[in-house]
Amino acid sequence: MDALYNTHVKLLAFDFLKLTPSPTEPSSFFRRGKRLSRAETVGIVVTRDLKPGKFVKFTIDDGSGCISCVLWLNQLNSSYFSRRNPSDVRLIAQAATDFASDLQLGVLARVRGRITDYRGALQISVSDVVVERDPNMQILHWLDCMRLARQCYD
Amino acid sequence: MATSAVSFGALVTLEELVPSSPQFTQGASLRVTGKLQEYDIETAIASIVEGNASLKIDTQHLKVNLRIGSLYQFIGELLIDPSNQAILRARVGRNVDGMDLNLYHQSLQLLRDFQAEQMNSTTS
Repeated sequence: MDALYNTHVKLLAFDFLKLTPSPTEPSSFFRRGKRLSRAETVGIVVTRDLKPGKFVKFTIDDGSGCISCVLWLNQLNSSYFSRRNPSDVRLIAQAATDFASDLQLGVLARVRGRITDYRGALQISVSDVVVERDPNMQILHWLDCMRLARQCYD
Repeated sequence: MATSAVSFGALVTLEELVPSSPQFTQGASLRVTGKLQEYDIETAIASIVEGNASLKIDTQHLKVNLRIGSLYQFIGELLIDPSNQAILRARVGRNVDGMDLNLYHQSLQLLRDFQAEQMNSTTS
């Protein structure tokens, strides 16, 4: 039942938006009875709201829906990271800053992260971003999502 | 659960975008793809073509270098005037030179079939 729990599950936005939160575990979401915690999406960045040193919120449109995403940029002044090795935290913060500058309106982005629920709306708390240069990656992501849904996720 | 505030651009081909189609509605959010045929730098109005169909695109809100003959994808809202002429007011645009249009059209159909299949089957 939990084989997908720690996998970045490739979901089309319309499918992602139908996930239901677990009533008992805040980090778990259900799709057709299977427990998930992470997701991957590919789509066009259609909104972008940057708060330097805090976060960048953005929206990915994959043609089937829109997924809200948040990329945290507060690692250097967050108490959550204060217990970790400072050089590791600096690297994480630099990677996040680089991702944020890559995320411009109109780019095709592949985004991975944890599924979270913010004020009743599903979003991805982003851990990785890749800007795809090849426009065919959008199509290949659709095909991947459909194949995986039929063969693995359903 | 609540959904995102911004409307997604429904995937549509220019040949499908005729007055009788369900997407041909005032304010519809669409994603369109086509080759840039014309661009007026004064008005920022571009025209894209796909097969025998074309569509005007209002690019005034975009920061994209437009090149005649290149392939572009735009997301925006459809505005229809009283004479039934449509123009897409683009929010986002990008160059998609190198995209396999045959694969795109085939995948679009597969995607629609998949969505219909998923909607009809039992949800979680």
